[in-house]
Amino acid sequence: MQIPGYYEFCNKVRTVSGHKALDKLPEMLASVNSVRPMIITDKGVMGAGLVKPVQQALGTKIKAGGVYDDVPADSDVKTVKDIAAKYRAAKCDSIIAVGGGSVLDTAKGVNILVSEDSDNLMDFVGFGALKRRLKPLVAVPTTSGTGSEMTLVAVIADHEKDVKMLFPSLFLLPDFAVLDSRMTKTLPAALTAFTGMDALTHACEGYTCLSKNPLSDVTAITAIRLISENILKAVKKPGDMNARLALANGSALAGMSFSNSMVGMVHAIGHSIGAICHVAHGICMSILLPYGLEYNLHKTGHLTGELLFPLKGEEVYNSAKPAERPLLAIAAVREMNRELREATGGKHATCLREVVDRDGNMMIPRESLPDIARLSLNDGAMVYNPEELDYNDMLMVLEKAWDGEPLDRKKIRKGKKTSRIKIK
Amino acid sequence: MNINKYPEIKSGGKLVKKIYVAIMLWIVGRAIQAASKVDREVKEEFAALPDDFIMHLHVLPSGPGMIVGKDKNGKVKYMGWNPKGKKITLEMKVKNIEGAILMFTFQESTCIASARSRLAVSGNVPDTMAFIRILNIVETYLLPKIITGLAVKRYPKWSQMNPFRKYIGRVIIYVRTFTF
Repeated sequence: MQIPGYYEFCNKVRTVSGHKALDKLPEMLASVNSVRPMIITDKGVMGAGLVKPVQQALGTKIKAGGVYDDVPADSDVKTVKDIAAKYRAAKCDSIIAVGGGSVLDTAKGVNILVSEDSDNLMDFVGFGALKRRLKPLVAVPTTSGTGSEMTLVAVIADHEKDVKMLFPSLFLLPDFAVLDSRMTKTLPAALTAFTGMDALTHACEGYTCLSKNPLSDVTAITAIRLISENILKAVKKPGDMNARLALANGSALAGMSFSNSMVGMVHAIGHSIGAICHVAHGICMSILLPYGLEYNLHKTGHLTGELLFPLKGEEVYNSAKPAERPLLAIAAVREMNRELREATGGKHATCLREVVDRDGNMMIPRESLPDIARLSLNDGAMVYNPEELDYNDMLMVLEKAWDGEPLDRKKIRKGKKTSRIKIK
Repeated sequence: MNINKYPEIKSGGKLVKKIYVAIMLWIVGRAIQAASKVDREVKEEFAALPDDFIMHLHVLPSGPGMIVGKDKNGKVKYMGWNPKGKKITLEMKVKNIEGAILMFTFQESTCIASARSRLAVSGNVPDTMAFIRILNIVETYLLPKIITGLAVKRYPKWSQMNPFRKYIGRVIIYVRTFTF
């Protein structure tokens, strides 16, 4: 096993998980002396009636200082400032974020402004900008994908300047995460599929990229096992509460893993597709994950081979020769995507050309691939990818992912081979 | 508690290591300036960076460091080690001298150093990525393949950097680095 010469790992989120985990909310808030939390959510979550169980759990002793339900799909500076003003006006003393990645990131941004008594988020961009504890933050995820309830980063866009800003700080780790199966029960099948694959990508990239460490490995492997065993169950039978809870746990563990080990080329390309074609992040992840693993095989094939164990179980892992395991692991991810496509009635895309909007229009035209390739080169996740990619490499990967064909491994320009096994 | 009463403790000792890293930073800084005139890819990378781009790479807590950036005329210049009076747009901090030694003896690449939390970066992510690519190209010019292979993920293939470009470029960059 590979031990890095030096690494850092931190996760201090008090986590409660259960079919009625929300019942713990009053006790959690009391432990941080909060009596007036602000609930931050979005219209979709509000419409699905998911804020109600949170309010019910608060009971009569704790009264929310307000509910802000207008968080956009892409967290942005303007919304953060707006909510911070409402938080101050209502004299709130903590935040409960109920939603997916955008809501949780927005809540983290609001927490920066209200804790630092500032109106300028730009002052807190980058590592080390935050120097002290923030107000208590409770994260209640309503998707099983982003893992933001366990991460130390918030990504918030400034649409006026057309940039996405990164706020990484240990102080941004939520104080509490509530994994309650009721909160993801109504998540539609297609969303369950691609958010689950997003979490799987966090874990797989966390396990195979440059910043991996023994602690992130443990969380990644458990996450992959929970997700691969339960994603199809939750998609086929949305009311399977055990599968829902397992997925929520898998997503949280994957978040814990990649928050401490970072991600690579799959995320770099996915971020760029999201920025240019406005495709949901999880869809890009599920399509690109096998390509990322394939591209890096000569560097991290031995690690990809190890993923076969949590992906397909002990029996398949033991019956395969070590040299066969990496390709079987990649095939398992592709098979998972195909099964999810079938289970969602074709809504889960397995290649980039299959990604369509609500009206059935193609969202990623082939002509956009060169722009996506160029933008991907400037994504911070590229630092942590095991192999180098230049513009031509990016374009090659994108074209294959667009067509839905595996990479031609002979065409991959390889640096020094570091995989400990020869791949068949 | 008044934090000003407790000034940061400056590390002492390790003078030889500091001198070594200072010399390496000087060479790399000068070589970047030279490469920006010689190599097409480096030129293009700098052209895409903002006009006020100034990068400060330094070792915590008290140096050494180097500053490279664009001057008023848009020319890439090595600007010494002292950030006073300069508007730094990208700051790359190596957390301690031991981390810097690993980087500048090429036992760890820039990417591995980042992955092992030895580097802290403040600034625009695309600018950081561009600067890492520039560093990789400059290292390819400055160092023999056997050492560069340790410092970059993938040594450029013939199709990316043919020997003619590499060796002629290397001579010119070395000459420009060590002459004024």
